[in-house]
Amino acid sequence: MEGRRRLGVIVRGSLREGLTARLEVDPESLRRGSFVVAEGGEMRYFSLISDLRLEASDPKFQGLPADGLPDYVRRSLDGIAIYATAELTPYLMLDKEVSLKDATGPRPVRTIPSHFSAVYEASDLDFLGVFGTEGGKYFRIGTPPDQNIPICLALDHFTQRSSGIFGQTGTGKSFLARILLAGIIQWGEVVNLVFDMHNEYAFEVQTEDKGFVKGLRDLFGSKVAVCALGEQFIRGRPADFNLLIGMEEVEPRDLELLAEEFNLTSTAPTVMDSLYRRYGQGWLSKLLSLETKEELEACSEETQSNYQAFDALWRKLSVLRGKDYLRPEVPYRAVEDILLALEKGQHIILEFGQYDDLLDYTLVANIFSRRIYQRWRERTEEFYRTKRNAPKHLLITLEEAHKFLSPAAAKQTIFGTIAREMRKYNVTLMVIDQRPSGIDDEVLSQLGTRVAARLADEADIEAVLTAMPRRMELAGIMAGLEDRQQVLLMGHGVPMPVVVSTRPYDAQFYKDLQAEKVGAEKFFEELYGRRPSSP
Amino acid sequence: MGQQEPLGEVIATNSRMLVAQSHLLNQPPPLGSLVKVATPQGHIYALVCFGETGGIDTGRKPVARSREEVENEEVYRQNPQLEMVLRTEFQALLVGEERGGHLRRQLPLQPPPLHYSVYPLSSEEVRRFTEGYGYFRLLLAVQGLPLPAPEVLAAHLRFAYEERGEDREWLEEAGRQAAELLKHDYEGLMEVLLAAAPAEER
Repeated sequence: MEGRRRLGVIVRGSLREGLTARLEVDPESLRRGSFVVAEGGEMRYFSLISDLRLEASDPKFQGLPADGLPDYVRRSLDGIAIYATAELTPYLMLDKEVSLKDATGPRPVRTIPSHFSAVYEASDLDFLGVFGTEGGKYFRIGTPPDQNIPICLALDHFTQRSSGIFGQTGTGKSFLARILLAGIIQWGEVVNLVFDMHNEYAFEVQTEDKGFVKGLRDLFGSKVAVCALGEQFIRGRPADFNLLIGMEEVEPRDLELLAEEFNLTSTAPTVMDSLYRRYGQGWLSKLLSLETKEELEACSEETQSNYQAFDALWRKLSVLRGKDYLRPEVPYRAVEDILLALEKGQHIILEFGQYDDLLDYTLVANIFSRRIYQRWRERTEEFYRTKRNAPKHLLITLEEAHKFLSPAAAKQTIFGTIAREMRKYNVTLMVIDQRPSGIDDEVLSQLGTRVAARLADEADIEAVLTAMPRRMELAGIMAGLEDRQQVLLMGHGVPMPVVVSTRPYDAQFYKDLQAEKVGAEKFFEELYGRRPSSP
Repeated sequence: MGQQEPLGEVIATNSRMLVAQSHLLNQPPPLGSLVKVATPQGHIYALVCFGETGGIDTGRKPVARSREEVENEEVYRQNPQLEMVLRTEFQALLVGEERGGHLRRQLPLQPPPLHYSVYPLSSEEVRRFTEGYGYFRLLLAVQGLPLPAPEVLAAHLRFAYEERGEDREWLEEAGRQAAELLKHDYEGLMEVLLAAAPAEER
C-alpha cells in the first residue's frame, strides 16, 4: 500500500453519525463523494466523504484579519488552530489480516476505528476489492471522477431486482441505459425487452454534438431483434417482428390510465365498466364499431348507460380507430412469435416509430407487458412444479416510468405488480425517468439498484433515496454531481454507494465489448492468482 | 565545555522556580534565556521569566539621585554605596534536568540547592536543550507568574532562534508547537506568534 496519499486522522466518530477525520491535506484537493479508506487497528473501513468543513479551535481564529498577518503566524496556525475536517460515512469494513484475495470480502460496518486511525485516498486495489474486476458479470460502468480505475457493477445483482436510472434531461440517462443494456446483452444471462419510445436504442442515432453512435442492433446483430409497433418500417427497413394488439386485450383500466391523454370525463370509467360487463373482452371493438346515432343509442340502452356519457366516451376513444397496431382481431402467431423469441433469449427492442405519442407508448407497454408477464408467470410456476426449463430472467426497460408507476397507476398497471413482486416470476424492471418524485413510494422502495444522475429538484432527490440508509449523506453527494456523465451508483448492484464518471459510448466502447471478455479475467488472475468470484 | 562565569546565586528555591541574585547590578540574564545550576547529580535548567532591581532593605525605598549633569552611569560613580544597598534579582522557571547524562525537559526531581551558582548556557548547550519542545508545556502551565506566560515564551523563541544561528526550521516547528499548546487561547497564541515572527516577515 505504498504511495497512497494520506489525508488525515480520525478524531471523532460514531456508528450513527459517521467518522470525522482531521485533514492533513488541502481540503480543495478532496471532493464530496470521494472514496477513502480509514485504517483502523484490525479493520479497514471503506468510506465516502459526505462533507468537508473548516474549523477553528477557538472561534476567534475565524476572525483573524485576512491580510497583513506575517506568513509565519499563518503557517503556525494552519492545521492546528485553523484546520479542515472531512465527515466520512463508512459503508464496508474488511479485516486487515484477510487480504482482498479472501473469499469473505468486505462486510457491512459494525464498529468504528480508534482515535487517530489514518485515512487514505482509496487505491486501485481498494476499488478492485470492493467493486470487483471487470469481466463476466462484473461490468465496467465507469471510473471514479478523479482516478482512472474501473468501477464495476455486478450485473447479476443489478438485474435480480428492479432498478432505476434517474436524472434530469441532458444528463446522459439514455446513453447510460444503452451502455448498461450492452453490458447485460454481452453478459448473456438475462433477456431484455426494451420499450423504446423515442426510437433510440436499436439503430444509430445522432448525439448532441452531431456525432453518430451505434444502436444495440448495430452492435449485436441478430442477438437483438427489432420489433415495430404496427406494420410500419423502421428506418426504411422491415422489422423482425411487428407487434399488433388485439382490442380484446384492452381492459377498461388500461384506458383509465390514459384519462388525461384521452381527456376522458369522470363518467367514462362507469361507462367502460358497463360495456365490459355486457360485452366482456369484446367491449372495445363493439364500441369502436358503432357508427350511427341509432347504434349508439341502442348500445347505451343495452348497457344501461347515460347517453351523453356514452356518446362522450365514444367520441374520445374514436382516436383509437386510427391506430394501425390496434386491431379487432389479431392472428395468434403475431404475438406468440415475439414471446417465443424472448423465451429463446433473443433481446427485443420495441420501436414505436411513428407512434411516438405518450398515449401509444403507455397503452402498448402496459398491455404487452401484461401478456408477457402472464407467460413468464406460467413458465415459472411450471418450473417450480417440474424443476425443468427454468425461464430465462427477463428485464424490461421502461422509459417515462412515472406514467405507469405513479401512486395512482402503480396499483393498476402490470409494472406496479412487477416492481412489487420483485423477482418472484423472474421478471424485473429497469425504469428510466426524469421525475422520480412522480413514482409511487412503495415501488421506489423496492428498487434494488439506483443510478442517480443530476437532479435539480429536492423532491426528486428525496424520491431516488427512498428507503436507502444514510439518505442525508447521499442527498448531499447527489447535489454535487456534475451536469453530465456523472452518477451516484447505489444499492444492490454495488457493495457501497459510489460516484462514477460513466464511460463514454463510443468506438472504444464497441471495441471493448469484444476485448473485455478475454482481458479482464486474465487481469484478475494475475492480480489475485485465482478466478473472480462473487463478493 | 569551558565553565563560564556564574551569573548569580540561588537565594530562593522551590520545585517550580528559583530566584537568584545577579552578580551584576542591573544586569539580570535576558528574559526568555536559559540558565543552569550545577548539582551533585548533574544540572538543573531554568528559563528566565522575570528580573528586577531594588533595595536590599525592603523597608527603604530607593530615592532619585540624579542631579544636573549627573545621571545614568555617573549616578553610580558618585554614589559608590549604591552597589552595596541595591541588588538585582531574577526568577527562572525550572524546565529540565540532566541526571546521569540523560536530559529531560521536565520538572527536576529536587529543587536546585540554595546558594548554588547560576550559570548561563553556551550556544551549544542552548542548541542541545532546545532540540525538544516539551518544556513549552511546563512554562505555559505555571500560574501566577509576574508576566503572562505567552510573553515569556515569545521572548524564549526569540532568544533560542538567535542562539541557534537564526535557525528557521526550529522556529517553524516551535511556532507549531506553541500553536498546539495554545490553540484554545487566541490572545495568548497570537501574542507568541506575532512576537516571534522573524523580522523580515513582519
